[in-house]
Amino acid sequence: MSVLPPGLTQETFDQALAEFRAAIGPQWVFTSDADRASYLDPFDIGDQDDHASSAALAPSGVEDCRKILEIANRYRVPLWPISMGKNLAYGTAAPEMRGSVILDLKRMNRILEIDEEMGTAVVEPGVSFFDFKAELDRRQSGLWMSGPSHSWGSVIGNALEHGVGYTPYGQHAETICGMEVMLADGSLVRTGLGAVEGTREWQAYRWPFGPGLDGMFTQSNFGIVTKMGLCLMPEPEGMAGVSIRIPDRGDFRALIDTLRPLRMTDVINAPYTIANGWRQITGGRVRSEVWDGPGAISRERMEELLAERGQGWWSVIFNLFDSPAGLDLRLEKIRQAFSQNIPGATIEVRRWEQGQPKESWMRQDVSLAPLGVVDWGGNPGGHSDFGPIVAPLGDRAEEVYAIIERRFLEYGKDPWIGMFGISSRALIFVADMFYTRTDAEETERCRRLFRQLCADMTGIGIGLYRTHLRFMDDAVAMHGWGDHALPKLNNRIKAALDPNGILAPGKQGIGSWNDKEEEGQ
Amino acid sequence: MRPERPNRFLWLAAPVLAAATPAAVQSASEAARSPETIFASRCAYCHDDGGWGTRALARRMPEGEAALLDRVNLPPAYTAFVVRRGIGAMPQFTPAELTDEELEALANWLEDRN
Repeated sequence: MSVLPPGLTQETFDQALAEFRAAIGPQWVFTSDADRASYLDPFDIGDQDDHASSAALAPSGVEDCRKILEIANRYRVPLWPISMGKNLAYGTAAPEMRGSVILDLKRMNRILEIDEEMGTAVVEPGVSFFDFKAELDRRQSGLWMSGPSHSWGSVIGNALEHGVGYTPYGQHAETICGMEVMLADGSLVRTGLGAVEGTREWQAYRWPFGPGLDGMFTQSNFGIVTKMGLCLMPEPEGMAGVSIRIPDRGDFRALIDTLRPLRMTDVINAPYTIANGWRQITGGRVRSEVWDGPGAISRERMEELLAERGQGWWSVIFNLFDSPAGLDLRLEKIRQAFSQNIPGATIEVRRWEQGQPKESWMRQDVSLAPLGVVDWGGNPGGHSDFGPIVAPLGDRAEEVYAIIERRFLEYGKDPWIGMFGISSRALIFVADMFYTRTDAEETERCRRLFRQLCADMTGIGIGLYRTHLRFMDDAVAMHGWGDHALPKLNNRIKAALDPNGILAPGKQGIGSWNDKEEEGQ
Repeated sequence: MRPERPNRFLWLAAPVLAAATPAAVQSASEAARSPETIFASRCAYCHDDGGWGTRALARRMPEGEAALLDRVNLPPAYTAFVVRRGIGAMPQFTPAELTDEELEALANWLEDRN
């Protein structure tokens, strides 16, 4: 069935498609049902067709992008840029606005530079973590990649969406050092010191003379990022993998208050992950094997399952990066802190030193492991994540955790909750809702749960880190300070840079075409 | 329980990596890639022995057929459909990632092996 961009007739859209074909080659303009289906969100929390595209275009480089933008501006065709299109659980490759044309940047997949001396790289959007790791290995590089839990996605796309990894460089947006961006009018800009002709310092320092603009092109629709610099970590002399079990549910507040100073003083020098009970009972099986009752898996049953695996109510895992002697000092401080604050905690440690074979706990190999849990709740499975950003203070984290767990149980969903100590001053909660995609009642209940939690968090002054396409407007509405001054500023920037609103309308709630209609524009 | 077997794609890894060139590296050449190369670089992570796809398929396939290369019957049209639409927890592949020609060759190669 044909899908059209809003406001265009079939005839006008056909004319635009003919121009796209002439501009980039007919084989790179995808309009068949099968091709368009490949851009649907396989894990959508509702009808995939709500976010169907009308076509997809695959440019070979910036000149193709410029031609596409010129045509799209003329015909008012909305474009949805994707890099690898593997933003799984957040929309995958699908557009926020139904009928948008996908701008698939996969063919722009060059690794332009890996600078062993400076510890930096420059890549294009179509480079996946698989590709990047293979190239580092091929060069026998002394630099390490910080990858997310699944490696199919784009290095650029993950950093732009504020993705996270498990090394000291795990805040991927923080590793960005310079971008090349094409704006909606086809002009090409290099941010930071990349604006200096013939520079050697583009990736050296992110603060140029004047405003630092890299951040405004992350989680935004102000331009198409065509190249990105990123900082890479030199291989450490050693690593320690730390796994901590905390048996008592009542120790959550103490756990947060124990981890915070360790992270803030860089004793723990990479993100840590806390898992609650429900999150720990999943691996290697599906839900129907352990629970056939109504609603969420009861706390009693969950505790039985934890006991079978010898696990505590909470678990914490993280890796440390240092010389062997430095690791000893860090581990001693960690043991002291836990022994003083949570005597019931047990700590297990694995070690690695340069030259030894790498092991899976180091998370230095590419992986697709998270896909294995998608069918946990039923086949065909899907999941969507609720991700509030919370100060790592015991009281505050406990307040947020209690609300999320209570709401999940109230809506009949397992409270499958992880918390990532992404920086020294921020915990990102990831509360996963697993559902059977074909169960309309269940997906509708999950959407209601998500929106209930948005309301709950707004009430206590909490915002979100990232959302699925369906909740972009809900998430942006949480930023109400000053009569929604920040969302309004974003819309003003959008209107100035992209007056026809052709780049990813609705992404992060910015420049939605619905807003324009409401405002009579 | 199936006996442990060595990874059948280790031998493919070297040629895949060696195909890259030093300076500005195109991570996937636009020249059509062979089915073996595609399977090793795009499918085997999940569909090799021990991959999560193989483990998921073990729940619903006859014994000994969970790994794609062990499948007795795998019609090319079915492979093409699943790759473009996804199935279960497996996300789909777009035509920019895997061209129609490459997909057809891959599907035929998989059928011929079985």
